[in-house]
Amino acid sequence: MTASKRNRALTPTELDRFGAELDALRARTVAQIGRVDADYIRRVVAVVRYTGLLGRLLLMVGAIGGAFVAWLFWPGVILGTALLALSKILENMEVGHNVMHGQYDWMRDPHLDGKTYEWDIVATGDNWRKTHNYMHHTWTNVRGMDDDIGYGLLRLFPEQRWRPFYLLQPFIAVVFALLFEWGVAIQELRVGRWFTGKTKHRAMWRKFVPVGRKMGKQMLKDYVLFPALAGPFFLPVLLGNVVANVIRNLWTYTVIFCGHFTADAEVFPKESVRNESRGHWYLRQLRGSANLSGGKWMDLMTGNLSHQIEHHFYPDLPARRYAAMAVEVREICGRYGQHYDTGSLPRQFGQVMWRILRHAWPSRPRARRPLVRAEAVEAQG
Amino acid sequence: MNAALHPASHRPRSRLRRLIAPLVVPQVFDFWASRLHPTWSWERPLARIVGRSEASADAVTLLLAPNRNWAGRRHEPARAGQHLMIGARIDGALVSRSYSLSEAGRADGRIAITVKAIEGGKLSRHLHRDARVGDVLELGPAFGEMTLPARVDGRWLFVAAGSGITPLMAMTRQLAAQGMPVPLTLLYWARRREELCFVEELRAIAAAHPNFRVRFLLTRQEPRAADEDAGRIDASLLDAHIDDLAARQVYACGPGGFVANARGLIEARAQAFAAEAFTPPPRAVEDTGTVAVTLARSGRTLELARGESLLTALEAQGLKLNSGCRMGLCNTCSCGKSSGATRHLHTGDVHAEPVSSLRLCVNSATSDLVLDL
Ligand code: FES
Repeated sequence: MTASKRNRALTPTELDRFGAELDALRARTVAQIGRVDADYIRRVVAVVRYTGLLGRLLLMVGAIGGAFVAWLFWPGVILGTALLALSKILENMEVGHNVMHGQYDWMRDPHLDGKTYEWDIVATGDNWRKTHNYMHHTWTNVRGMDDDIGYGLLRLFPEQRWRPFYLLQPFIAVVFALLFEWGVAIQELRVGRWFTGKTKHRAMWRKFVPVGRKMGKQMLKDYVLFPALAGPFFLPVLLGNVVANVIRNLWTYTVIFCGHFTADAEVFPKESVRNESRGHWYLRQLRGSANLSGGKWMDLMTGNLSHQIEHHFYPDLPARRYAAMAVEVREICGRYGQHYDTGSLPRQFGQVMWRILRHAWPSRPRARRPLVRAEAVEAQG
Repeated sequence: MNAALHPASHRPRSRLRRLIAPLVVPQVFDFWASRLHPTWSWERPLARIVGRSEASADAVTLLLAPNRNWAGRRHEPARAGQHLMIGARIDGALVSRSYSLSEAGRADGRIAITVKAIEGGKLSRHLHRDARVGDVLELGPAFGEMTLPARVDGRWLFVAAGSGITPLMAMTRQLAAQGMPVPLTLLYWARRREELCFVEELRAIAAAHPNFRVRFLLTRQEPRAADEDAGRIDASLLDAHIDDLAARQVYACGPGGFVANARGLIEARAQAFAAEAFTPPPRAVEDTGTVAVTLARSGRTLELARGESLLTALEAQGLKLNSGCRMGLCNTCSCGKSSGATRHLHTGDVHAEPVSSLRLCVNSATSDLVLDL
């Protein structure tokens, strides 16, 4: 079943009420934000630091200790890598992503400041604030405005023009997943425009300098400094770091793709955002996003992006609030005849993989059904 | 005690610190350092409360031990009469206000502030009621011009009302520590006796130094002791307690109205007059007319219309500002606000607290503002 069959077009009046109800929910939640949210994010930061430290220590124990006491090797290296990956995932999702949205700016803690936070991946926070906070969140799933649709690399919607290059997409998607943080790092550089000569070398270089510096810093830390601490036994530590980063890449890729590229997710033409009302904006966010069901652990490990819909409605509210808001959001959507796209990780990711495979081949856009219908139609019907 | 935030001045770094700085992520460093000691930090000036005593019925004196990042520990030590920003976490958020030092220049490097609990004052009530020995506070550098000259001479008069006593007390203590080298009179107003701070100590200083005289003036109670009197500040009361005003150098400190009165009564008659008033906390909230918006970093002040988003209003003045969604979503346009009241255009709520992130695209000015731009 396609999304448009599950959703009904709203009249402008309904759309306004829809928006007002979601705004009211926002106001109710904002009024509750306080100490519990601050304590929560501090606790997560502590978990990030301790798991990170423990992971790195275990890697050392495995690498160095394993050279002398053989049975220490595998448990140390595997457990260390797993903990390091866990630490990196939490830092990336629950701390980095959410803090950079300004969710904790009200705390006035310089270390949790949305404008200056720098996360533990090769992409710079500054570029992310632009491509993600601004471009992606304002123009969610609007073709030509939201770069996150396929990241300029993949064809995920039939509305995107097909080219033979996309036949390679199943393969490219896997490589992209493995190197996801690097993909995010160069997203804002728009390398494509440079290849085709639209961006001058000088301009490209100027944009690259901060990105390159961040890349260098990350590589120095994970692939030189920490392995070097193990001296002659650096190799397992190096591998542990590489694997931890790859695990994090695969996980974040999975979560993010499940958020916008499930079977029911829609894309929108540029015209649809002209003079967009608040209700209309909410509706577009809803139709372009999808949740993951799975409870508390899923919420934590995805940085609450398991509530992608709520995140898109309220990107600047502390993400731990989404789970509670979701109950009401779902109810509101139900009342307005809007499909609330949620499902288990295997189900949603299955749909994403289907999209990747299907649209590697030529595909034709389905007929568009508008989000809004004229008031008069309602009166007749 | 005024409400402007001052940027933290960073102390010059040691060579070692400069060398390893590129390798240090401050938030990681601070996390681990604070596990070892509550005020260890890479560059944040922090202080631990090491002493707490009641100063009056509604005021408390806190003795603070600043860490090494605080400017006053190395260069430019804090001077009596200055004030500094104090910040504490209240309900998860950092709340900062400026307080006068009630004691500066101690040999052990500690400083004291005396805080009067103010009706509706978030931080003052927190410090008064909940702050405990061992708590950690954020510190700003000490600032303020009303300090004693390096060489004190002549005859002096201090005029204080309410918490205006704090900076003058610091200076009195400093002079007492120097053996009271000049004649000094302190006239100290409060509504009632229980609200007076430092009474014992002031009387002890007066007993020890014939050069120092203190008079407590009560506006809502009858005088009982020999050094007490009743009445608001006026010419006859001044004349009753000071017979050589023309020869005096005067410092006055207290609420805005009091300082204005004192200035009117004293400035023309005394040898010198300096004063400091607390900014009156309530600001007029209106949505028509214009306000003065001060851009703290560029030092400009602009007249802006109320009721319009600050982003549009500032851009109309020719400012180039970062912006993205222009709908309160992406946080691109946010900047710090150190004083003034704003209204959120979507919710209509008015916010008067200083904040580190004000989204210019969805807020309008309702009073004069100071922005970190
Ligand atoms: S411009 Fe996006 S929040 Fe103001």
